[in-house]
Amino acid sequence: MKCRAIHKNLIFYLEGDLKKEEMSGVELHLNECRECAAFAEEMKMTLGIIENEKNAEVNPYFYTRVKAKLESFAQAQQVKTLKPAYIRVLQPVFFSMVLLMGISAGIMIGNAPSRYEARMVISVEGLVPFLDEMSHEPIETFIFEQDGNE
Amino acid sequence: MSESEIIQKLQQGDEHAFRSLVENYKKIVINTCFGIVHHQEDAEDIAQEVFIEVFRSVRNFRADAKLSTWLYRISVNRSLNFIRDNKNKKRIHSIDDLVQNKHSGLLSLSATRSDHPGLKFENSQRAEMLHLAVDSLPDNQKVAFTLNKYEDLSYQEIAEVMAISLSSVESLIHRAKKNLQKKLYDCYKKNCI
Repeated sequence: MKCRAIHKNLIFYLEGDLKKEEMSGVELHLNECRECAAFAEEMKMTLGIIENEKNAEVNPYFYTRVKAKLESFAQAQQVKTLKPAYIRVLQPVFFSMVLLMGISAGIMIGNAPSRYEARMVISVEGLVPFLDEMSHEPIETFIFEQDGNE
Repeated sequence: MSESEIIQKLQQGDEHAFRSLVENYKKIVINTCFGIVHHQEDAEDIAQEVFIEVFRSVRNFRADAKLSTWLYRISVNRSLNFIRDNKNKKRIHSIDDLVQNKHSGLLSLSATRSDHPGLKFENSQRAEMLHLAVDSLPDNQKVAFTLNKYEDLSYQEIAEVMAISLSSVESLIHRAKKNLQKKLYDCYKKNCI
């Protein structure tokens, strides 16, 4: 058997998955080929790691940690169930109030009398006596004075 | 307590039943998780979440499958989700990294079960190499291989856990072994150990 064919089947040989004739063929080659035998040994040791790992001891405090985690999870769930009701009801009410206050403030600001307009009214009224000469000097007086001068 | 008693009392929220569940099944759950994530502490963390999920959803458990089958299923799903969520945090991403670390003298001892005082450093390197090779497998091959090798489940039992046919399990394990061999040979050629 060639080395390449052996390498393809080596893991199945080590696992005992090959047919009897194929197993014999691989064994024969491994007895003759040093390189393949070395690789087979490496692979056997590597796969043997699994046997060590699956029999490892479990943490003796595992249940304590699970229980603690379960309790903290239950507490977190309790907080979570309260929060949505609070958010669902009060939050939209709060934002609606803010909106209404904003609109009211805007209307109030919009209706307030303008200082500039008031000044304009005062200044026009102030000027009017000077522009409206007739109220201070009636026309009859003016005419009589004109006739008198002539 | 028998399996049906445990389930019945769990559904009533009995703490003793929960303790019994954890004590009886913690080994298989942690082992299954370790076979997929290859890190003892992470495996225990995931196992804790598995038992919490069982406690929360035991009312929905139908007795048409075994409790162990259900536990395996949850363990596998949680472990695969953990790997997906923590993909970027791996210290060694490929066999090339392993070779590089070896040549640069970096010790890559993770918290694996190979840190047992009795084992030599070479064994921990082998374990790292094996874990990398298994991690490189597609998820379904990885799961089938892990359940077969770490839990000694029969192909029929694996088919029940994975909800696939027996022939599919045979095919998955065959391909997993073939891929593993290729990875291990590549590592051997690159002189990883």
